[in-house]
Amino acid sequence: MNVLSRKLLRDIGLQKTQFVAVAVTVFLGITMFGASYDSFQNLQASYDATATQTRFANLTVAGGDIPDFVSFAESQPGVESVDTRTVVDLPFDLPDTKLLGRVVGIPDSAAVNLLSMQSGSVPAPGEIALEAHLADHFQLGTGSTVSLLGPNGWVDAQVSGVAASPEYIWPAKSRQEVLTTPDNFGVVFAPEADARKLAGLEQPNQAVVYYRDGRPDDALTAALTSAAAGAVDVYTREEQPSNSALKEDLAGFEELSVFFPILFLTASGMAGYVMITRLVQAQRPQIGIMLANGFTRRTLLRHYLGYGLAPGVAGAIPGAIAGSLLARVITGYYTDIISVPVTVVETHPVAAVVAVVLGIGASLLAALGPALMASRVTPAESMRGFAPIGGGRPSIIERLVPAASRMPIRWRMGLRGIERNPRRTISTILGVVLSLILVLVSWGMIDTIQQLMNFQFDQIEVQDARVYFDGPVDESAISALTTVDGVASAERSAQIPASVTSGSNVLSTAVIVLPADTRMHGFFDAHHDPITFDQNGALVSQGVLDSTGAVVGGDLEVTVAGVGSITVPVAGAVDEPLGSFVYITFDEAQQLAGMPVPATAALISYDGSVDASTIRQAILDDPGVAAFEDTEALAGMMRGFMGLFYAFVGVMLAFGAAMAFALIFNSMSVNIAERTREVGTLMAVGVDRSTVSRLVTVENLAVVLIGVPIGLIGGYWVSAAALASFQSDMFRLTLDMRPSTLILSALAMVIVALLSQRPGLTAIRRMDLTRIIKDRSS
Amino acid sequence: MTTKATTTTEIHLSDVSKTYRVGASDVHALRSVDLSIEPGQFVVILGPSGSGKTTLLNLIGAIDTPTTGSVDVGGTDLGSLDETARAAYRRSSVGFVFQFFNLIPTLTAAENVELIAELTDGDSGERAEETLGWVGLADRVDHFPSQLSGGEQQRVAIARALAKRPPLLLCDEPTGELDFETGRSILGLLRRLNRQHGQTVLVVTHNAAIGQMADRVIRLHAGEIFDDRHVDTPISAEELTW
Repeated sequence: MNVLSRKLLRDIGLQKTQFVAVAVTVFLGITMFGASYDSFQNLQASYDATATQTRFANLTVAGGDIPDFVSFAESQPGVESVDTRTVVDLPFDLPDTKLLGRVVGIPDSAAVNLLSMQSGSVPAPGEIALEAHLADHFQLGTGSTVSLLGPNGWVDAQVSGVAASPEYIWPAKSRQEVLTTPDNFGVVFAPEADARKLAGLEQPNQAVVYYRDGRPDDALTAALTSAAAGAVDVYTREEQPSNSALKEDLAGFEELSVFFPILFLTASGMAGYVMITRLVQAQRPQIGIMLANGFTRRTLLRHYLGYGLAPGVAGAIPGAIAGSLLARVITGYYTDIISVPVTVVETHPVAAVVAVVLGIGASLLAALGPALMASRVTPAESMRGFAPIGGGRPSIIERLVPAASRMPIRWRMGLRGIERNPRRTISTILGVVLSLILVLVSWGMIDTIQQLMNFQFDQIEVQDARVYFDGPVDESAISALTTVDGVASAERSAQIPASVTSGSNVLSTAVIVLPADTRMHGFFDAHHDPITFDQNGALVSQGVLDSTGAVVGGDLEVTVAGVGSITVPVAGAVDEPLGSFVYITFDEAQQLAGMPVPATAALISYDGSVDASTIRQAILDDPGVAAFEDTEALAGMMRGFMGLFYAFVGVMLAFGAAMAFALIFNSMSVNIAERTREVGTLMAVGVDRSTVSRLVTVENLAVVLIGVPIGLIGGYWVSAAALASFQSDMFRLTLDMRPSTLILSALAMVIVALLSQRPGLTAIRRMDLTRIIKDRSS
Repeated sequence: MTTKATTTTEIHLSDVSKTYRVGASDVHALRSVDLSIEPGQFVVILGPSGSGKTTLLNLIGAIDTPTTGSVDVGGTDLGSLDETARAAYRRSSVGFVFQFFNLIPTLTAAENVELIAELTDGDSGERAEETLGWVGLADRVDHFPSQLSGGEQQRVAIARALAKRPPLLLCDEPTGELDFETGRSILGLLRRLNRQHGQTVLVVTHNAAIGQMADRVIRLHAGEIFDDRHVDTPISAEELTW
């Protein structure tokens, strides 16, 4: 090893804490990159492999003239297979509970949407296979019995096995009801003939089309969609509810794989820049001597780039390995939790190489400025030993506010210290801003989801439970519910699957019919102000308006399969976080449809005298009741689903704090190191150490406090932008950050700043005055 | 120049040794030094590099503590003081002038002087301008260090040391960074302050010529005093040459 390399290693050894801080930041950034990018690739590959293995339909057509569509589809050269099947939503009676489930028919020689049997066998006539989520939740399996309510009453079916389907990896009921729980939605697969009997249909009501090798083909999709003009719903593989939800999730991983590494590598770059700049300034006499002794400027440039290379290599290589390993864990965990039939875990060498290059590149870039500075030093000047004395001038506050110049000198010193080294001040401020962005983006998501849940379940869905009947009911069935002990009131309701059209835009959704004076459902505008439900026309979710292009004051064409179409005026837009629906009163629905609309469900509220499970059981005992959905249980389960998300965001918060610490620690350390002689002088003349510590702390903290408001604004803005990218007709996420989040984040940053300068303050306490005041380089 | 130092300070060092641990070996900076300095003396401590002169100054200034022996200043045994009491001693009784000025670059000349007063006794530093006047910088009070020459910076450093009106002024190579003319001017200033205010002034230097202007010259070698003599007719700083 040559002498310069030994010097490099020993210099790093002398400032190991600061180099470790930079390396750790690089490590975190590269780990995040590797973990998120590899997870994204693995999950993408898992979904693709699942789609290929199960021949996941490229296009699904529901309703309309299925035989006519099939004959057209089969004549298209790009179509490899077409299956027809029956899909119907029915009440299920499971051991101890009832729910509204879905029966999916399996054609005799299925060639599209093949089941992946997890256990047991494909159902024979009279049997069903349970979808994996339903089976797992209720601990059912081969040999269990499930009752299904067909047109002729309850039918018992033996469970032949448990299956996973590409259509229900995420068990979404529809695009509007993506967040379901096994308590209110489950899927079973039955032989096509049985499914048709249960649906009471003569013909299949769906066609599923698999393109040549499963490859997407926009022209073919356009032709087939045109041929399915009379269908109730037509959606591609990308639009299929489960797949669409998964892709949104996947897109999140992809965004993370860019966002977080940029943040961390910027932070590490700044920390490295500050540290190496200080090192070069401190080594000016050494640089002068090296130049005087014949070292070339190129050699010095390479030498000081080495100070960037070292933490870059030390952080990037372990980071790439850790990221790859973490991606395997995440992929396995994720695919296991949501029952993806095929899990693909691969090593992505190119991604690893990119990660290492990114980490090292960022560190080298940080070192480039100081290294160039080192290579341009004038030997004679640098060997005199004096680092250029900082040009003093009153601070900007003193210049703007003359009264400020009468402040105590120690305060003025703090203010001027901020402007003393603008680049370091700016880099510290940027560090605080980046850290706050990282923290607020994560925390803003938690806040928004929590507020969203509260809004959805405390203000919009204010019923305590929803009761589904096994068919249309009259007012007496609704009134009967109020006789159940513990039920305070009941309101009729109907939820009718429909497609809505505006111009050429079609959206599959549901029309929800409620009494005009409903007290069980709240309607709110974009500002969360209440709106009157009883209007001429329908209240329409903003998501429906966005997807169809319809506007308030205009019309929507609502088509109900097997019934027909009506034109509904759009009376207002409602803001709802979950799902997109059309709301209309029973009276308005009757007027527009020209016939009475019967209730199929009821919304009930409790009086608090009886516990919810007793009420549930009493109502489910009524043979006319098909399902019971307890709102609190639903909300609780959904909050439970967020646990994983919170854990993830919690890790982000921890990473943000770590990054903030590393960055601020380096800036503070350098700041204190540059003041060593000043501090030593103050102490030599009798200023006690605690006063000196306070002076240094106030000055450092002032810089952090400048960064805090900028970081809060930046963090809020980035959080809003990040959440806006999740907007779809399935979710409407608008940032709803609590003021306390901003306050606590700001406080956390101040605490991190205080903690990060503890090592520097400890160094002040241990300062060797006899050396400091004699040492010209200190 | 009307304000006088308020106390006089007698200095006694008795059998003082100072040993530093450097790596695996001990360095004996001072060996059994006995020394008394009367109040108001202008003392020059001479010696080559490593002779122990700065260590001696640091012990008297309570920046450092002896390994053995006692350092008594004005009746106080400095060895018996804890860190806080030593800081209080430095605050009230000692003014330091360093070779490298050690001014705070973001403060003006007046603010550098006022800061010490503000931080040590809460005094607003009204004496700052007066003190800068003593050192001939009355018209440079609002200049920042970067706007001052080396000699002017050292004058600010001396004013800073005098701001508290200490009875004892300790100067470590005060001309080490200055050219001949400026150095001579600074020495003249120190001598004048000593005569007018009665402060005890100890100047550490390796420049033997400076000894000619002192009341007393102490020579150190290898941590021991090998020569200690009074100068009967000190010359003025203006007469010095080197």
